[in-house]
Amino acid sequence: MTPSLLRPDQPLRLVDTYPPSAPALQAIIRVEDLSIVFDGPSGQVIAVDRVSLAVAQGEFVSIVGPSGCGKSTLLNAMAGLERPFEGQVLIAGEAMRAPRPEIGMVFQQPHLFPWKSVRRNIAHGPRALGKPKAEALRIADDLIEMIGLTRFASAYPHTLSGGMQQRVAIARALANQPRVLLMDEPFGALDAQTRAVMQDNLLELRERINATIVFVTHDIDEAILLSDRVLIMSAGPGRILRDLQVSLPRPRSSAIVAEAAYLALKRDCLDLIRSEGRRAFEQMEIRT
Amino acid sequence: MSGGGRRSTSTAARLSVLVAVLSVPAFTGVWELVARSGIVNAVLFPPPSTVAVAVLEWIRSGQFFGDLVASLSRVAAGFAIGAAGGIVLGVLTGQFRLVSSLLSPLFHILRPIPPIAFVPIVILWFGLSETGKLFLVVWGVFFTVWLATHIGVQKVDRGLIRAAQMLGTPQRHMLWEIVLLGALPYITVGLRTAVSISFYTLVAAELAGAFSGIVYRIEIAQQNMQTGQVMGGLAALGLLSFVADRSFATLAERAVWWR
Repeated sequence: MTPSLLRPDQPLRLVDTYPPSAPALQAIIRVEDLSIVFDGPSGQVIAVDRVSLAVAQGEFVSIVGPSGCGKSTLLNAMAGLERPFEGQVLIAGEAMRAPRPEIGMVFQQPHLFPWKSVRRNIAHGPRALGKPKAEALRIADDLIEMIGLTRFASAYPHTLSGGMQQRVAIARALANQPRVLLMDEPFGALDAQTRAVMQDNLLELRERINATIVFVTHDIDEAILLSDRVLIMSAGPGRILRDLQVSLPRPRSSAIVAEAAYLALKRDCLDLIRSEGRRAFEQMEIRT
Repeated sequence: MSGGGRRSTSTAARLSVLVAVLSVPAFTGVWELVARSGIVNAVLFPPPSTVAVAVLEWIRSGQFFGDLVASLSRVAAGFAIGAAGGIVLGVLTGQFRLVSSLLSPLFHILRPIPPIAFVPIVILWFGLSETGKLFLVVWGVFFTVWLATHIGVQKVDRGLIRAAQMLGTPQRHMLWEIVLLGALPYITVGLRTAVSISFYTLVAAELAGAFSGIVYRIEIAQQNMQTGQVMGGLAALGLLSFVADRSFATLAERAVWWR
């Protein structure tokens, strides 16, 4: 590996490809004119406003935006946990109306079953899908080894640290061998050091699994570090503002965040978000 | 300075242990003295020694064992039926809004009525049969367990349910595994409260007319002015209720095995 992850001959570009011109042929996720509306205390609130996007097979896409911009709602719609008001989400050509086991999800909180050991938590998915117990446990043991928690296989979740719990949650989501892995700010509740370790773990993990990953975060560093593409969302109503290609070479590690070229990329993203934040804020001022 | 403070703390601790150990014997001693001194009527307020003799006689005659079995089986059967019904309906009302809309208003009206108040109507309905006694205990236990389960189910972390949904958990497993186990810490608290309640309602059930049982024995002894036997019965009932509560507490801790 080269000491610097960025080669000078490879110029960094922000390529805005939003809205998508033609649907990518090999797109596994396709969101078409999706709107999601909630009943708020003062009438209906548009959480997601006519969003369209496509994610190619094997791609790692991050959705970045301020809190309350509807990015988690968008992800929940991809998971089948949220019903579209208008439009639809197609995964592998099929409309999402309810959760499907081929689509895995990792939440901000680990949400491990407290009454199950690490091993049984991970085996839950295969068992739920009717796999024999021995096979489910074998799958669990393989994943436990991959996340490096072999010593804790029979431990109960509350005895683990937050980072370890989240690793178990990721392994549990992977146990059904999902084609798509949805991650909703999975490292948001962790301290900065643990988060950096988890990001590196996820980068390594990604080399070994062939799932398409959609990753929601408000952390622009995290998004650039992990993704092939970053979608920037605006708040009130939730829309996708920009679709940015991250042409940083792989494999990457969290050390990349100190590179000058990376910082330039980040500055561009932040400028976008800042100007959008100001616009949304001013709009809010005018409205009230 | 601090050493002196520590010493006085440990002295205080030792003293309070000593007082705690001596508490019951001291009260029993005072009771014995007062009852024998003639200050009070020893027939109405018999000394502990008389109570002890009455209890020994109760045991020797063989009646004690029969009474114990009669009372315990009423409590156990009533508790089992009431708890099972409370858990099942609590899961259903906690989980399904329609079931809750149907049953919760009714349960909330019936729940605050003390079970003892049902004794007259229960006698009309069931006479002096065992069914009537069972009904009273079930009635007392059911609402407590139902409410605890209902609240517990509603407090189950929605995130756990979403995670289980994403993993393809079938609907049936969702209810009887994720929801039930998620609510288990609340349910065990409700069950423990219900243990005491089952003994309260036992009293009402046996006073309403029975042919055996600890409270029945107390009532018979009262009619015969055997006050020693009355107090012995009260002591037996207290001890029984205490042992039941303690053993249930131990059991409940094991039931929530992951803590």
